[in-house]
Amino acid sequence: MKRKWFLLFLILTTTSLISGCWNARELPDLALVSALGIDKNEAGKYVGTFQIINPSYVTGGLQGGGGGQGPPTTVYSSTGDNIYDVTRRLSTKSPRTLYYAHTNLLVISEDLAKKDGITNILDAFERDFEFRTTAMVVIAHRSKAEDIIKTLPPLDKVAAVNVIKTLKNTESLLGEEPTVNLQEVIHYLVSPGKEPLISGLSLKGEKKDAKKVTNAQGSSTPKARLEADGIAVIKDGKLVDWIHGKTARGTGWVLNRIKSTIVNINWEKEKAAIEYTVVRQKTKVTAHTKKGQPKISIHIHAEGDIGEVSVPVNLNDPHVLRKIEIEVEKTIKKDVHDAIHRAKENKTDTFGFGEALHRSDPKEWNKLKTDWNDVTFPKLEVDVTVEAFVRRTGLRNKSYLSELKNNR
Amino acid sequence: MPPFFKYKKQKGHTDQSKDTRDSENHHVPELIDPSLSVNLDIIKQKTGHSSDIIVRTIITGNTPLHKASVVYVDGLVDTQAINDSLIEPLQTNHDLLEMLYQQDELDKFTKEFISLGSVHPVTNWDELFLTLMSGDTIILIDGSNKAWSASAKGGERRSIQEPSTQVSVRGSKESFTESIGTNIAMVRRIISNPDLWIESMKIGNVTRTDVSIMYINGIAKTEVVDEVRKRLKRINIDSILESGYIEQLIEDQTITPFPTIFTTERPDITAGNLLEGRVAIFVNGSPDALLAPALFIGFFQAVEDYYSRYDIATATRFIRVLAFFISLIGPAAYIAITTFHQEMIPTQLLIIVAAQRDSVPFPAFVEAIIMEIAFEILREAGIRMPKVIGSTISIVGALVIGQGAIQAGIVSPATVIVVAITAIANFATPSYTVAISARLIRFLFMISAAVFGFYGIILGFIMLVVHLVSLRSFGVPYMTPLAPFIPKNIGDTIIRTPLWAEKLRPRLISSTDNPVREGENQKPTPPKSRGMKKKNTR
Repeated sequence: MKRKWFLLFLILTTTSLISGCWNARELPDLALVSALGIDKNEAGKYVGTFQIINPSYVTGGLQGGGGGQGPPTTVYSSTGDNIYDVTRRLSTKSPRTLYYAHTNLLVISEDLAKKDGITNILDAFERDFEFRTTAMVVIAHRSKAEDIIKTLPPLDKVAAVNVIKTLKNTESLLGEEPTVNLQEVIHYLVSPGKEPLISGLSLKGEKKDAKKVTNAQGSSTPKARLEADGIAVIKDGKLVDWIHGKTARGTGWVLNRIKSTIVNINWEKEKAAIEYTVVRQKTKVTAHTKKGQPKISIHIHAEGDIGEVSVPVNLNDPHVLRKIEIEVEKTIKKDVHDAIHRAKENKTDTFGFGEALHRSDPKEWNKLKTDWNDVTFPKLEVDVTVEAFVRRTGLRNKSYLSELKNNR
Repeated sequence: MPPFFKYKKQKGHTDQSKDTRDSENHHVPELIDPSLSVNLDIIKQKTGHSSDIIVRTIITGNTPLHKASVVYVDGLVDTQAINDSLIEPLQTNHDLLEMLYQQDELDKFTKEFISLGSVHPVTNWDELFLTLMSGDTIILIDGSNKAWSASAKGGERRSIQEPSTQVSVRGSKESFTESIGTNIAMVRRIISNPDLWIESMKIGNVTRTDVSIMYINGIAKTEVVDEVRKRLKRINIDSILESGYIEQLIEDQTITPFPTIFTTERPDITAGNLLEGRVAIFVNGSPDALLAPALFIGFFQAVEDYYSRYDIATATRFIRVLAFFISLIGPAAYIAITTFHQEMIPTQLLIIVAAQRDSVPFPAFVEAIIMEIAFEILREAGIRMPKVIGSTISIVGALVIGQGAIQAGIVSPATVIVVAITAIANFATPSYTVAISARLIRFLFMISAAVFGFYGIILGFIMLVVHLVSLRSFGVPYMTPLAPFIPKNIGDTIIRTPLWAEKLRPRLISSTDNPVREGENQKPTPPKSRGMKKKNTR
């Protein structure tokens, strides 16, 4: 009996030693990649740019570090024939193993997206078990992905965090940047009834200063900064167009992605006299077929507050409020029509009208899906109805402007 | 072990015991001799002329020189009571005594003279020494082959003090002392019921320690009481110095870090457990009572849970269970996250931890082990250290180990935080015995986390749960009422339902004949009328 227990003990202890500390990695042996940029050079090879967090310079203070002594992120780059090649070749330069589980930003250069398309490069990221498919995808607008990765922004020390926050902010306050992650991009690339939209990011200012530590320090106005800049329209995996401003917002309305936005309306010949802040929005896209012709109806319900008035209006009067609502409805409708018009010109269904038709009439969709973007979508009849509602008028009913007017 | 060696040892052992028994029989006769001087000689010889055995010989008659002796152990008796109620009557009532001698009715003597609580005659020497050594006073009279043993126990004892380990804000402030009689009386004062039964025995061949088992007849399960009695009777050991001796000799399973018998120093906890059907074991000289059968969840039930309202009690108990888990897997989880699962924590937090670990020369596991061992040493030193230099340890602990180690870059602040939280969490467990087992198991979890990461922690947890479920305390499954799952008793586990909702005593512990502990409709409600007005109309 004793012998038996001893043997069992021996087997248990040795097996645990055999397996070793599989996959154990100490933190000082890991290079945390915060962002990853993909370019293509003249020779046709992929260039990967890796933004690696330098932990002691990010936190600063404690031991040895001290915030100002070095850049919070370090950038490595390498070239290769495919993405995996690029990442493995980096080992010749990096003292630590690259760790992708905290990579939250994937930057693709505009050139690469236009010429070769993004279809070929995404598989590696989706397949890798470390890389998160929730990483945000952006396209470098008017600059190389490398430049964006190298930029040291002022507020958030890690550039990737800075970019993600900027884009999310733009989406939630302005409604112009429907951000997408890797998973969504792949999903829309595959789906014939909807094409992906990817946020654009550009480096503004003096590009030479972007990668210096002094860019983020020593001056209250950074010489170079990253800005959300338009939305890239992708068709068949390739970048076909950039949309900006009101068109982008119109797209947001159709996609039901507006969390909050501003709508400026005209009042008695005064331009942009009243500002209406959307706080709640709901868009319903329905498709139906009439005599073999698909038809899309969009119903937008918006609810918001009056944010600012620059003309004396009596906001106590329900008739005035109703009039404001009608104006808001008109403005939104115009934005949406502009966006749809632009999409039709591009022959790219970025709104998912195809998917809506697929849901309502799968048989008809199967007939149409092969030529959807090029033939059916540009001729599609789209009916837009908007219902706006003024929920609150802020802390003031009557603006002091009306009193000023009465005194005169 | 080679068999011949065993045999040799056994033989030697038996021979020795035989010898001692023979010599005992030779020296001490079984019955008490009529001659006083012979008796006194025997006492002196048997006790080795010990100086604390006091013999007072009194001349009780005039014409024939009758003598009587009072024998007691100094310090175990109430000398005042002996003087007043024993020696004085013997000295003053010569005539009466003379009469009794002549009538040969010395038995009457106890009824007439001794005004002490209990007096009983003793005829053999074994009994005489047993009563003498446990603090009774022996009266020997010349010419009588009987001795009388009178109970006048006294002497210096520690008084009743506040509990030191099971502290509560609300509730009684008294704790058990070293005297078994006082302890039993304290429980008796709480449960004034004739059904509170006590059985006494003496255990320990040399120490002859008083051990009592206490239970409520009708509530305690007869099988459990029988089992306790059987296991106590089985004990054959030289000495019982503390209740821990009994605990180790009667527990169900010895290869386990978990205690299967509950210990308490509070009479109210003892009473509460007796009322749930448990059996209490008191040991003379030990300020802790043993309670059996013990359940795992019982170690998380503090007295205050029952004294405070149920919502607060539930919240605090939840915190306690949480703290127990933290004290088990705190450092293990830290090791697992920093060496295997760096993706599990937010980026910003990881950056902070990584920045701290950058300059540390050790792997996370070694670092955590260093800190844990340092803490365990501090803790052990804190207990053993004389109180006068107690402040030294806090200075050394806080400054040298905490701040110094971090500044020197030997350990990272995150590790210190984790170890500190774990240490604090360990103190949140109300029972010291189960907190110690958590301390022990923590190291196993740390090793499995260092080898397999979270997978190892989960493996460890599975093994822990399997082990816990396999344990039994006096035949009752340790994890009752969670496994086996008893829905009716779940109200006093991780949650505590209101007192008016806990209608039944715990099944499997208390007697099945009498499970209901409260009447119907115990939930308090406001009066239906609006109070004042209706009273006035009456």
